[in-house]
Amino acid sequence: MNLQSAAALLWLLPLGGIIIALYLLRMRRKDVHVPATFLWPERTDEVRANALFQKLRFSWLLVLQLLALTLFVFALARPQTLQKGLAGTTTVVVLDASASMGATDVKPTRFDEAVKIVEGMVASANPGDQIMLIEAGPFPRVVFPLSADPAAQKRALQSVRRADAPSDIEEALRLATARVGKIAGAKIVLLSDGVFEEVENFSAGQASLVYNRIGQGRNNVAIEALGSTAGPEGRIVYCGVKNHALDEQKVDVTVYADGKVVNSETATIGSNKTWGQTFPAPPGVKVVEARIEVDDILDADDYAVAVVDPGSSLRVLLVTPGDIFLERALALDPRVTLDKAPKVPEGEQAGTAGPGTYDIVVFAGVKESPVKARGILTLGMAGPSSNVTTSGRSNSFTFLRAEEHDIMRGVDLRNVYMENVEKVAPKAAGRVVAEGQSGPLIVVSETDKRQVYVGFSPLDSDFPLTVGFPIFVANALDFLAGSTVSDSFAILAGQQFQLPAKTDEKATLKRPDKSSVEIEPLQGRYIVRGVDQVGTYSLSAGDRTVTVYANMRDDKESSVNAQEFVSIKKKEFKAVSDLRRYADFWKPLALLALIVLAIEWWMYARRS
Amino acid sequence: MSRLVLTPGEFRILEGLRLNPRKSFTGRVRGERLTKRKGISIDFDDYREYSEGDDLRHLDWNVLARLEHPVVKTYRDEEDLAVHLLVDASSSMSFGEPTKLDYAKRLACAFGYVALCGGDAVYPRAIGVRQQPGSALRGRASYPRLARWTTELLPIGTQTLANEMRAFAKTGARPGLAVVITDAMDPEVASGVRILAGRGHEVCVVQTLSDLELRPDLEGDLRLLDVENEGAVEITANSITLRAYADSLAKHNQALAEECRRMGGRHTLVEVGTPLDKVVKNVLKKEGWVAA
Repeated sequence: MNLQSAAALLWLLPLGGIIIALYLLRMRRKDVHVPATFLWPERTDEVRANALFQKLRFSWLLVLQLLALTLFVFALARPQTLQKGLAGTTTVVVLDASASMGATDVKPTRFDEAVKIVEGMVASANPGDQIMLIEAGPFPRVVFPLSADPAAQKRALQSVRRADAPSDIEEALRLATARVGKIAGAKIVLLSDGVFEEVENFSAGQASLVYNRIGQGRNNVAIEALGSTAGPEGRIVYCGVKNHALDEQKVDVTVYADGKVVNSETATIGSNKTWGQTFPAPPGVKVVEARIEVDDILDADDYAVAVVDPGSSLRVLLVTPGDIFLERALALDPRVTLDKAPKVPEGEQAGTAGPGTYDIVVFAGVKESPVKARGILTLGMAGPSSNVTTSGRSNSFTFLRAEEHDIMRGVDLRNVYMENVEKVAPKAAGRVVAEGQSGPLIVVSETDKRQVYVGFSPLDSDFPLTVGFPIFVANALDFLAGSTVSDSFAILAGQQFQLPAKTDEKATLKRPDKSSVEIEPLQGRYIVRGVDQVGTYSLSAGDRTVTVYANMRDDKESSVNAQEFVSIKKKEFKAVSDLRRYADFWKPLALLALIVLAIEWWMYARRS
Repeated sequence: MSRLVLTPGEFRILEGLRLNPRKSFTGRVRGERLTKRKGISIDFDDYREYSEGDDLRHLDWNVLARLEHPVVKTYRDEEDLAVHLLVDASSSMSFGEPTKLDYAKRLACAFGYVALCGGDAVYPRAIGVRQQPGSALRGRASYPRLARWTTELLPIGTQTLANEMRAFAKTGARPGLAVVITDAMDPEVASGVRILAGRGHEVCVVQTLSDLELRPDLEGDLRLLDVENEGAVEITANSITLRAYADSLAKHNQALAEECRRMGGRHTLVEVGTPLDKVVKNVLKKEGWVAA
């Protein structure tokens, strides 16, 4: 135990002296005439004094007052003890809300244990201790800002939620640094199992990072793959299961097609080995499910769904040297399975042997070239196979008008700045749906392929920063995909996606836990968030209902191996088992002093 | 206080009541109460041998004829009862609202009225005031004198109650019913009762206590000064002290009541302000102090 202000103990002498001096004062009593005095007992309890002086007599009140004074003065000396709880006076807690935190090696789950630790931190915080909580899920969010309001913090803590998805720890840590990176002595406490990708781009600034490990087991088996592919004799379903545990595991694997069991077997899988099986899918099957029965610590990856219906998925190839805006906009579509390449792979080029892998190819910052895909989106660089012919570029381009077309629904280009716009003329099949003062800006065509041409690259404009950009990309995908749009999709849990809204009415998203949330349409699209748990969701709008299957398929998360060290910007942080610091011990002392004073008051009231 | 002290309603309540002493006393004048003395009432008492000079009207002729031996019948005499109204006028009686003395005066008038109506001799006397014994009041017509006496009575005495009762006993007052109306705020009051009873009186103590004595509203650190002497007690008026006082008072009252009963008398405790009709109904009639 330390005393932060030991000099405060010196107050004990003068204050104690004053109390004792008060007891040396003699009582001056009030005279009262009574009919007779013989019935009254000679009983005096001197609790008030107002005259000088008398011999000091023993009094319990004196003892209690001196005891209370001692406790108060001792509290003023600020005794400190090594206490569990917060790591410092300014603390940002980054709470890992990823899928692996759902592991049950710590009861009930790692995530619940982490929440309990945060509750303990809030409860044990001293007045003035500032705490901030960041939920590090797929999209990090601030649960409560840096504040010293335990009541509000406890309320806000009720809203934390774990996702069956990888967490963006790097973004969460950057968020923490942005708030306390300039505060010397601030602590960033990472409550995690350490199951996340290495953090590359992070600096704690003047704050320091503490990694508090939650969990210790790694006994998990996961469905690693489930899908279907077209084979020469019809569709083939494949299922892969990986054992992440250290021991060999016996796993019961059952595969369902449209709810009916099509395969069930017990697989023996060695440590860190993968078991796989393929079998023909029944004709016309739309949804394939797989479920494994095994005694492991993570349930989210024991179930997977794949939608076999061709209209439910779009394989998209993004050919670009790099365009993060476009990449994100494409990923918003639940049907899209996105691959990226700097140039068109040889097997996808038109004229080569075999069928193409991709449904749609997007050219961004790369000149369009002939491909096998049935849909082509070209942004800024037309090629010989494009639906336009080029005649140079224009640096100052002003948008004039847009035609009524599905691809332009919810898109407004009037205030979009663009430069380096290609001057083009539509070919015979091309239809201009937007144009500016220098000519056509957006041209669409429907022949054996569907094509959309945009006269500028997104990176040469501020179009990606407008609300209309993801809507335009979604509209373009709808157009390029044709009419084969399915009413069921399989996505990864935690993924945000959007669907077209045909009316202005709200859509209702029903979760696997029977709760529901309403979603307002925005610029003709429903932007759906919160599909963060594995299971079946349904999105209803008007007479259309879309079924969305959320899967957890992440090898890193399924490994669930709680890490002793985490690597952050090439630096290893060793886990600490619990957080301790020297913290003031005055609260119990003050409470004790109050109790003593209450007893003293009771005795005083009883005697007077 | 009205000139007659009691209200017409209270007079009606008292009308028809008679004091009901446990003992019988020898009277001075013919009255309405039977005594041990032989007399000429119609109440047969005994037979005795005839002696010369006896009134032949009392000779029992039937006995003479049968036994040939003269005997005369004797009868009990009817005489008046001496009722001593002893009202405590010491300084302690000036407490309360109304004061204990004012209430004691009303009780004295009530007792006096009942006695006067019953043909008894009423001797009003203030305890605490040195005075010569006065003449007896007799008959209903004397009530205004009794009322005047009570209204003129002031709390002035500082003598202790027991001493005053002893002094009264020494005056050789005619034995009778001694109705002592007092707050009994004297630790020796029981000895006073004993002395009075020893002189042949039937002592009936009506103890009047005010709210101040029964439920003292005191708090803080106090020095209590006895209003009748130099005594002083320092107390801290807390619950413990008040409880101790209540216990002392109860014991004191119980000791007084015991002594009264032991000496053949009566005792009752009346809180100042209790309506007279309740006193008559709940005490005097119920405990047999008066008879209809």
